[in-house]
Amino acid sequence: MRYDPGTPAVTGAGTCGETGSGLVFFPEEYVMATDLKFAKTHEWVRPESDGVATVGISSYAVEALTDLVFMQLPAVGKRVKAGESFGEIESVKAVSDLYAPVSGEVVEVNTALPGKLETLGQDPYGAGWVVRIKADNPAELDNLLDQGAYEALVRSQPH
Amino acid sequence: MLTMWWDNPADGPTNMAADECLAAEAEQRGCLLLRVYGWTETTVSLGAFQKIEDARQIPEIDGVPLVRRPSGGGAILHGSDLTYAAAVPKSHPWGASPQTLYDALHGGMVAVLSRHGIQAWPYADSAPAGTVPPGHDDQPFFCFDRRAAGDLLMAGPGSGPASKIMGSAQRRLAGAVLQHGSLLLRGNTLVGGAARHVAVSDLLAEVRLPEAQGLDAEGLDAEGLDAEGLAREWGRRIAATLGATVGEEDSPFCRGREQEVAALASRFRELRWTLRR
Repeated sequence: MRYDPGTPAVTGAGTCGETGSGLVFFPEEYVMATDLKFAKTHEWVRPESDGVATVGISSYAVEALTDLVFMQLPAVGKRVKAGESFGEIESVKAVSDLYAPVSGEVVEVNTALPGKLETLGQDPYGAGWVVRIKADNPAELDNLLDQGAYEALVRSQPH
Repeated sequence: MLTMWWDNPADGPTNMAADECLAAEAEQRGCLLLRVYGWTETTVSLGAFQKIEDARQIPEIDGVPLVRRPSGGGAILHGSDLTYAAAVPKSHPWGASPQTLYDALHGGMVAVLSRHGIQAWPYADSAPAGTVPPGHDDQPFFCFDRRAAGDLLMAGPGSGPASKIMGSAQRRLAGAVLQHGSLLLRGNTLVGGAARHVAVSDLLAEVRLPEAQGLDAEGLDAEGLDAEGLAREWGRRIAATLGATVGEEDSPFCRGREQEVAALASRFRELRWTLRR
């Protein structure tokens, strides 16, 4: 089942976690994204019923990158390997690699995204999906973080 | 501990390769590394995704060697600037967000310049939150014609607008952040027109504060500016901000890493990389 971007959001502004050096804000969309797995490099993955993994960028990462200006995505059919770069994204100050959370073949690319990068911030877990990968080995998903572990990772980042 | 190298001039691909090595080393050592270096010839470095056609439309840089950086941002004409690469592991307090490292290093330079009576200040982006920035290809070609929060400005010539004198851009790798930057110390006399930007030395006479005139100022030579002195003072200032000491390496960064640097440099020499966009 794919994520329904039209799902009503939980009322409220999200949650804040206390850290040693301040507060970490988790937007409500983040809190709702319980069906996701996360890479330590801040990509999210939604396993679909057809064996395809939808991949995007976490709202934390999008916010940290600030103003996005360019994105380079792979072509459909490209083979990707878990942990290796499959695309790049540039903000006003920085270029970052996007890392494949699972190995496999890119079967669909969100071609609308590079022309409308604000979607990544507005709907990171819905319309802001980046690629869909037909995973070679679904067991690789077990190497990824669940939501709780990812929240802990974000809280442990220096702020 | 901040380790700093004042490196020998090299060509563009070698400098880019050395900077990638620096990032790998920062991740390995777990601390901030700083490499300040020169260029064997005037060179234009392009941002990672700038269009090569945009460079070809600027006649003033026709024939000038080009190298494409792994970092973002706009093109820089090197040769009369102070070029640096800084690298931190992502786990470092300055590694988490792009702005943190940007502000820390630029803030250190504001303090150094101020000690020499030169007033510089960070550009404050006043666009309302949520404003969509100009598209990548709608931005000016040269870094020093762009403005991003934290860029360093000085009062412009006469009553003109403020001039950008320092800008930086990053490559955020899996385990480390590489930040490239340039302080435009002097105008490059080899080029003019669109490629010539107002430099610190152009503004020095206008902006030096009267009380600075008698300072025993390391970093200022008879002509006004000494890049190496400024860089060393900058390194100490950055280290002090971290509550650390600065260790200056006697030998160039590339010494002992020649093979690694040469292997990485081959990628930056490939037309496939230079013409990637």
